[in-house]
Amino acid sequence: MKKLALATMLAVGLTGCSSSEETQVLNLYNWSEYMPQEVLDRFTEETGIQVVYTTYDSNEAMYARLKLLDDSAAYDLAVPSTYYVSKMRQEDLLMPIDRSKIEGFDNLSPELVNLDIDPENAYSVPFLWGTTGLGVDTADVDGEVTAWADLWDERFDGRIVLTNDMREVFHVALRVLGHSGNSTDPEHIEEAYERLAELMPSVRTFNSDAPRMPFLEGETDIGMIWNGEAVMGRDALPTLEYVYPEEGIIAWLDSFVIPKNAKNPEAAHKFISFVLKPEISALISEDIGYATPNLAARELLDESVASDRASYPTAEDMVNAEFQTDIGDEALQVYAKYWEKLKSGL
Amino acid sequence: MSRWLPRTYLTLVYLLLYVPIAVLVVFSFNDSRTGYEWGGLSFRWYEALFNNRAMVQAMWNSLWLALSAATVSTLIGALTALALHRYRFRGKQVLNGMLFIVMMSPEIVLAISLLGLFLMVGLQLGYVSLLLAHVTFCLPFVVITVMARLSGFDERLPEAARDLGASDFTMTRTVLIPVIMPALLAGWLLGFTLSLDDVVVSTFVSGPSYEILPLRIYSMVRVGLKPEVNALGTLLLVFSLVMLMLSQWILLRSKR
Amino acid sequence: MGNTLQQPFRTAVLVLVWGWLLFLVFTPNLLVVGASVMTRDPSTFISLPMNLDAYRQLLNPLYLDVFLHSLYMAAMTTLICLLIGYPFAWSLSKVARKNRLLLIFLLIVPFWTNSLVRTYALKLILATNGLLNNALMAMGIIDEPMQMLYTEGAVIIGLVYLLLPFMILPLYTVFEDLREDFLRASHDLGAGRWSTFIHVIVPLTLPGVLAGVMLVLLPAMGLFFVPDVLGGSRNLLVGNVIKNQFLDARNWPFGAAASIMLTLAMAFLMFAHRLSKRRIGEDGV
Repeated sequence: MKKLALATMLAVGLTGCSSSEETQVLNLYNWSEYMPQEVLDRFTEETGIQVVYTTYDSNEAMYARLKLLDDSAAYDLAVPSTYYVSKMRQEDLLMPIDRSKIEGFDNLSPELVNLDIDPENAYSVPFLWGTTGLGVDTADVDGEVTAWADLWDERFDGRIVLTNDMREVFHVALRVLGHSGNSTDPEHIEEAYERLAELMPSVRTFNSDAPRMPFLEGETDIGMIWNGEAVMGRDALPTLEYVYPEEGIIAWLDSFVIPKNAKNPEAAHKFISFVLKPEISALISEDIGYATPNLAARELLDESVASDRASYPTAEDMVNAEFQTDIGDEALQVYAKYWEKLKSGL
Repeated sequence: MSRWLPRTYLTLVYLLLYVPIAVLVVFSFNDSRTGYEWGGLSFRWYEALFNNRAMVQAMWNSLWLALSAATVSTLIGALTALALHRYRFRGKQVLNGMLFIVMMSPEIVLAISLLGLFLMVGLQLGYVSLLLAHVTFCLPFVVITVMARLSGFDERLPEAARDLGASDFTMTRTVLIPVIMPALLAGWLLGFTLSLDDVVVSTFVSGPSYEILPLRIYSMVRVGLKPEVNALGTLLLVFSLVMLMLSQWILLRSKR
Repeated sequence: MGNTLQQPFRTAVLVLVWGWLLFLVFTPNLLVVGASVMTRDPSTFISLPMNLDAYRQLLNPLYLDVFLHSLYMAAMTTLICLLIGYPFAWSLSKVARKNRLLLIFLLIVPFWTNSLVRTYALKLILATNGLLNNALMAMGIIDEPMQMLYTEGAVIIGLVYLLLPFMILPLYTVFEDLREDFLRASHDLGAGRWSTFIHVIVPLTLPGVLAGVMLVLLPAMGLFFVPDVLGGSRNLLVGNVIKNQFLDARNWPFGAAASIMLTLAMAFLMFAHRLSKRRIGEDGV
């Protein structure tokens, strides 16, 4: 009985939502809730193109799928982070972006285009960007914290959170040692491992799904956190401060790319142009809480948001900042080996 | 044995099971977007949820997939258990071994190997590929549950039925199925639960045409899990409980 | 047993079952075995030539340690599930038949809420600022908040909370079948409650126990997000290692080899257990 009723309701629900085959479709492959519904609706209204929004939960999964699916991949637009752009570009997974079909590219901050991950932005257009820095709960921490190296201070024993991200954690240790966060030198990596092994007994937990939470839970006082999370966490915990460490912050950038086998690249170009409109970029940034690379949009933002140093760092904050780059397969294996050692405690 | 002891125990365990759910329900009405503070009573997450068409669509897709995957896996799983229990055939250990492998394979291995298979045979990724994958990983749960029930079963019953001239099919239908009914229900529920919750396998074998809910929820970590998810959980809970009460009421009325 | 032609039903069943398993289990696992003996390749994941490097890499004592730690966590989870689930299923079978179905559904309904969301709800309860600590402090039972979150205990609580129905449901199906007349007979023959329990109830429900143990122990080895969300800094379980090898390190041969060895190791444990059980069975009961 119950099953029958359910099935009927489902049947009604499904038929009610099926779209006609005539309309054009754009298959967008993105993080969940990383594009407000309003933007999709307005895009459809303006162009008549339906957006089918599918999600992934890590760059690694997105990359593995696009790679495996190859020809049968049906996605027109994806949003990889930082060095996944260069990786995918080098492995010939992307279609070049036709700049003549993109409007508003000039609005993008000169500091966030033409990066090493994609010179000339031949294959990618920046969407949102952010940083991974130090979160400090000033209610429980006396004195100033200014550097990654402060994490090694004894007083934080058992009160530290790190992101559950191999590259980022090593990035911090490498910077503390004075190396590049993208070092591929096995000796540097081993050195970083030894430094991290000293830190491990003080680490309370790793968290890569909501690094603000251990602070709110009262479990940690200091640690790595994404800027968007720090802003969000401040609502509930006003003493949570976001610090730009001296050794340099970790910066990341999510960009639009068009997979090589996109069925509707026309629509993909249109969508990128649409998002680059200042009012749309501003809407996205306000809704999602991460910074827009669109300078024209920044002027439209609420003063309290635009002047928030956590979201929009000053030039001094970004001294020594480093974007992650693809370190290649060999170095990756070295990182992975030490990461396992670190986490298993051997 | 006294009556109150089991009852008290049952109540206690139910309470423990529902405490986290109750927390979730309460927080779905919390006005604050983050964390532990109570920001006042609000329905804004329900409003946000109803405006989030993709999320609602994904929920329907998930429910439909779980219903069909649980049903198909119960059917095939029951037949597998019956075959293992009743028939003598070559390769029984191989069959057992394959079921064991499914149980033991980490999800990511299952996910990538199944995707490899679907690509090899050129299957379009969508509802069908999801269904095949979900039925496969639910299968051992059904088989093991049904086998446990069958192992206590009196072998003379089917023999008697056969002696009385019943065909294998008739015997299965009239003697065996009623005996394993509780196990079928248990297996179906386990399958439904597993399918409704799967992320890793679904990530790899789904296509843009059919997105399911757990995927959307896991992917939300990037922007922080929103209380919208709590609202969704609450709605699903209320929906299940109402359906449950309704079916119970109908059942009791029809018996009267 | 007659020949297959005379038994169309039997043939149909066997064809369906074999067909499904060969296509959706055997073939993909052939791919896994194949992948495990290939060479890691940065651009195509795997490539020729074939070799046993991946298996050699597994000899690292680190992985034995991770395996044993996972096994310990999974075994604790299973034990707790059994301790909670056995009396629960028993009590359930004593409820009037007309209410049983309702109670079974009530048991499973909480598990239809996404497990990640439920794990987060557990965090709200267990945290230092969480509900449990606040309640205990308000009642004056403790003065200082207890540290519960990000510990091994929290991971086990999380695993138990996710896997409990997988223990209870198979147990329930055997208890449901437990015939009152056996128990009465045992009583009439002068057996005490304890003796009835040991000599009648336990042997009759053993298949359910074994099924429940399988359904909890094996999945508990592979669940990776529970230690990620609830565990402390040292919480590497088998599931995490294999997932990381496939996604982060992109060392597919190694991930595949680790998965195969995990399956073999668990199969060996089950087999050894069954052998020892059989021997005890011959001596005792």
